[in-house]
Amino acid sequence: QLFFSYFKDLVGQEVTVELKNDLAIRGTLHSVDQYLNIKLENTRVVDQDKYPHMLSVRNCFIRGSVVRYVQLPPDGVDVDLLHDAARREARGG
Amino acid sequence: MVVGLREFALRTGDGSPALDESSGEELMHVQPSVAVALGDRSVESPGTLYITSRKLIWLSDADVAKGYAVDFLSISLHAVSRDPQTYSSPCIYTQIEVVEDEDEEDEDEEESNGVLDLSKIREMRLVPSDSTQLDTLFDVFCECAELNPEPIEEEGEEENGHNWVFSADQMVVGGGGEEDAEWQISQSPTSVIGHSNGDESIAQPMLELQINDQRFDDAEEMVHENETKDH
Repeated sequence: QLFFSYFKDLVGQEVTVELKNDLAIRGTLHSVDQYLNIKLENTRVVDQDKYPHMLSVRNCFIRGSVVRYVQLPPDGVDVDLLHDAARREARGG
Repeated sequence: MVVGLREFALRTGDGSPALDESSGEELMHVQPSVAVALGDRSVESPGTLYITSRKLIWLSDADVAKGYAVDFLSISLHAVSRDPQTYSSPCIYTQIEVVEDEDEEDEDEEESNGVLDLSKIREMRLVPSDSTQLDTLFDVFCECAELNPEPIEEEGEEENGHNWVFSADQMVVGGGGEEDAEWQISQSPTSVIGHSNGDESIAQPMLELQINDQRFDDAEEMVHENETKDH
């Protein structure tokens, strides 16, 4: 549940989502659900080599299972807070 | 297993697709007058889009033998595409998860020997003739994607660090654990938690109580029942 809660707090911020197929998409985080499905707004493709057709769609829905990782805005992350929360979650507390 | 895009031609008497009702598949939305474009290929029409709780089906209006289907489990992402420079018509753009063959180069080899291999299709566009329906279609896609999360093989998907979870078998972690357990047992041989081989019950309590669900749930339930009886 940690990441779900964390992402909910990130809604409204710019993130870059990298998928397992190497596609990277930048956009504003619109919403996220418990499976970490992600909805982005104002999306644009970061690296257009593989998927040139995906330029500037307005909204997109990304299946949680295909996300490799999500790049967070450096200002949007309180690293210490996240670190503590992760440690707590790992302990089961 | 993940299959990707495939042909689909099972129709009922009224022309709609035959669904797998035994698994609870339901029709969620029907959109007539939709053209489909697979990969880089040109658009195919006229057709009707059927969205079920499990998959997306496009059936040709002109050719009853022609149709395509893809499970929502295989749809990596979907989006509304309105940029005329990207594609001539506003459409729903989808990406389909494809199992890459090791033999092939990293190319869109959708056709070999002139035969289209649907399972290699990575992108699919659905172009409704009524483009005001795009947002509705996008929302239905979102709903259906949410209905199809990854199948969970074991309990505890939401728990963080599933590799770290102690099972009762793994409980005895270090040398210290066992000794402590024996010492504890001598004090309370019949522990409330009720394990006959009590060496795991008390030794490292807090960690496991939170994580291991079923065994401790029973104990809690029993306690609760006693409490309600008292009232």
